[in-house]
Amino acid sequence: MSAGSGSDRSRRDTLRDHYESAVDKVTPHLVRFATTSPYERLLISVAALALSVVVGGLIVFGSGMVATCQEPFTFHLVLFGNELWTWPTTSCYDPWAVYSSLLSGATGNLSANIYNYELALTLKESTLLIFTGLSVAVAFKAGMFNIGTQGQLVLGALASAIVVVTLAKVVPGGLVGTFVLIPLAVLTGAVVGGVWGAIPGALKAYAEANEVITTIMLNFVAAKLAFFLTSSYFQPENTQSVETAEIPSYATLNPWLFPQGSKFAIVAFLFGLVLVAAIWYVLTRTSYGYDLRTSGIQPRAAEYSGVNADRTMVSSMALSGALGGIGGTIWVLMVMGRFQVGVPAFGFDGITVSILAGNNPIGAIFAALLFGGLKAGSLAVQFETGVPKQLVGVLRGLIILFVAMPEFFRMVGRRVVDPRELGGDHDE
Amino acid sequence: MTYAVQLDGITKRFPGVLANDDVDLEVERGTVHALLGENGAGKTTLMNALYGLYDPDEGAIHVDGDTVDFESPRDAIDAGIGMIHQHFMLVDPMTVAENVVLGHEPTKWFGLSTDDDATTREVRELSDRYGFDVDPDAAVEDVSVGVQQRVEILKALYRGADTLILDEPTAVLTPQEVEDLFGVFEELTAQGKTIIFITHKLGEAMHAADQITVLRDGENVGSVDANETTREELAELMVGREVLLEVDKSPVEPGELVLEVENVSADDARGIQAVSGVSFDVREGEVFGIAGVDGNGQLELVEAITGLRDARTGTVTYQGDDVTHESRRDRIHRGMAYVPEDRQERGLVMDFDLVENAILGSQHQAPFADGGRIHWDASRDHAEELIAEYDVRPGDPNADSRALSGGNQQKFIVGREFERDPDLVVATHPTRGVDVGSTEFIHDRLLSLRAQGKAVLLVSSKLDEVQQLSDRLGVMYEGDLVDVVDPDAVTEEELGLLMAGENPDTADPAPTVDTNSGGDDE
Repeated sequence: MSAGSGSDRSRRDTLRDHYESAVDKVTPHLVRFATTSPYERLLISVAALALSVVVGGLIVFGSGMVATCQEPFTFHLVLFGNELWTWPTTSCYDPWAVYSSLLSGATGNLSANIYNYELALTLKESTLLIFTGLSVAVAFKAGMFNIGTQGQLVLGALASAIVVVTLAKVVPGGLVGTFVLIPLAVLTGAVVGGVWGAIPGALKAYAEANEVITTIMLNFVAAKLAFFLTSSYFQPENTQSVETAEIPSYATLNPWLFPQGSKFAIVAFLFGLVLVAAIWYVLTRTSYGYDLRTSGIQPRAAEYSGVNADRTMVSSMALSGALGGIGGTIWVLMVMGRFQVGVPAFGFDGITVSILAGNNPIGAIFAALLFGGLKAGSLAVQFETGVPKQLVGVLRGLIILFVAMPEFFRMVGRRVVDPRELGGDHDE
Repeated sequence: MTYAVQLDGITKRFPGVLANDDVDLEVERGTVHALLGENGAGKTTLMNALYGLYDPDEGAIHVDGDTVDFESPRDAIDAGIGMIHQHFMLVDPMTVAENVVLGHEPTKWFGLSTDDDATTREVRELSDRYGFDVDPDAAVEDVSVGVQQRVEILKALYRGADTLILDEPTAVLTPQEVEDLFGVFEELTAQGKTIIFITHKLGEAMHAADQITVLRDGENVGSVDANETTREELAELMVGREVLLEVDKSPVEPGELVLEVENVSADDARGIQAVSGVSFDVREGEVFGIAGVDGNGQLELVEAITGLRDARTGTVTYQGDDVTHESRRDRIHRGMAYVPEDRQERGLVMDFDLVENAILGSQHQAPFADGGRIHWDASRDHAEELIAEYDVRPGDPNADSRALSGGNQQKFIVGREFERDPDLVVATHPTRGVDVGSTEFIHDRLLSLRAQGKAVLLVSSKLDEVQQLSDRLGVMYEGDLVDVVDPDAVTEEELGLLMAGENPDTADPAPTVDTNSGGDDE
């Protein structure tokens, strides 16, 4: 029996041929992506970063041609001190200048002073993103999509602030206060964030409620709850904005080495690294981590191996929430010195960080540094080059998109491609 | 003479593996040709080359005498070759007819709409022509696996296939469906179609094929006429040495009671009662077999025993203790080993390597863990032992388990569970998908566990397997344990009737259901 009869049929066949040959062509590439080694993945990330700069540069240059300015920039090709070529362009924005101020805005002048203000800004952002990125990654590893890190962070922040402000009245100040109140604040943030994270975990385990929905909803609940509690009970009378009283300075995380005004405490960054190492250890070296990872990638095999799926859901979400809550504590102790409503979206950025890192805890450090650097650098680009901030946002988005795409295709590849092709298996 | 398909010196290399080594294959038009070989012999690779999925490194392919060079399956389909993979590619909510014409839908109104009436009509005609008993309007998700397979065959025929390649077509079928499938083969060849089917089951090859080509380690080690060969000859060709097809079972005196199942009922995943009040017991040094057509409650019963499913009523007693409501983990720690039916969902974590999979189930137990920490060195040693002992290939402990073929995955799981030092082994289809040589080995191991005084609960749909290995044999039908028989005294015919829900003492024995016709020979 032949399928091709009639002209409309053959036109369909042509379309289908295009489609199927496209599928045939794509599949080997997906297989390739799905089977990349960690070293190759690192190379791909670096190449993607470079490519995003090239593409972004073209966009900047093109936008500069339609923008109005007093004087388009002139391109100088300089090699070993000799000017080889000069090209007066028609574009207002010099891509080279944009990217160099993005870089210098993120790192500052490292050769002049390693402990400079710009780097401190980057590290401040990165520190907070390490906690939230790690929070999202842990939930991911257990097979759950925790969109609720933001809410866990908000309540963790509020609780830490309240505990410190309240106890500061009874605990002696100075060094004793530092060593009592800061650990206590971290513990409070972890417990409150953990409980707030455990709620959607329990709802999923015992009421089969989708955690994506419940965590999103709990974000709103957390924000409103924080507003209500702060404005009703914890707001000093002489302030206008909705915020708690200030934390005594001996209980805050103060910049050390870095400029005082940067609000970056290297202790917090190191604490983040320690937590990353601890989470990595738990995931890869402990029985609990084995249970958690197994539940994440193959729940039915986890059940077979004796894992209690319900308990793992609750405990992994609690762990994830605790990390988010600690992020809130750090924000209060290091950045704000008090709790104030309108917490920046560290929790949501944590989702991007985690995906960028392939949900790998150690990768989260690098993803957080990249993300933090881009945030700090973007400010410099706006100030120094006059490129509008929307365009800077495009450049930032491009970098994240380019770096995340290979990881995305890798995940697609693993889902779509016949598992047997991955192993180069040749029978059965 | 012109062959429907002629392969000439096909060689295909993968990194580190010579999958096909200078393979010749000649398939006559209008015949059924079986491609027989162990797991990893290169059967599927060869057929993928014929179907345009792989480009062979050397050799030529001739179809109906013409030399062809397929770049993709599209070219192969255009040349009249269709392939039905082990895993069906059907859209479940759509009807049979819609699936058959998918991508080639008849249209009306100048191509603006699909012509549903013509679709149904064409598919019904096609189905009738080959004597397929298929309802074109039924949704694919509502029909049995056997019918789904026929839909796949119809799909290939609708696209104009003259030569059909089927990859392990019987792996997913019940014995009755296997028989139906072979009937379909006859109908198709009678009308001039050519069939190539891949199998590792000798009995099936001899039963259904006209010619048999045996592959071993990627080489063609012989093509024979099905009528002129013996099982022993084929087994020797496949394995490369003489194989004992009969199990050598020495008597063991049963000891203490290990497992007592009393009046256990359980529901299936949809909440429908699947097991109704089953009772039996297993002693030390005894193999208790459960025979039955798949889906008669065996899975649910076994899961209730191993702790993966709640028993709705009844008790499960293990070594004198009531474990009915104990967790799965506690039962593992008590020494219950379980070879699950679904190896890729339950038995292995596909994205874990073999080192990680070697401790699946023991991740909280010495010597692999203590106080919450995992000892990866011990796990690696264990994985390497399992690989060596159970001949798992490729023998790389760092390979992801998804990289292994199904038979090798099964060998790894069986090894892990048998080496757990269990007191009770629950083995469901322990040799499913495993080749003849490894089947022999797994059977040996099972019997040596029995000789060591372990209790074994063996569930299998292979009649000869349960019959040869069991000391007592229960038969399940629609959730009931309908009878417990002496496997040495019962005939296959009687077993077949019991499995079909009839009582052999009262039923008319003439129209028997030949339940073992699948020729499961391992």
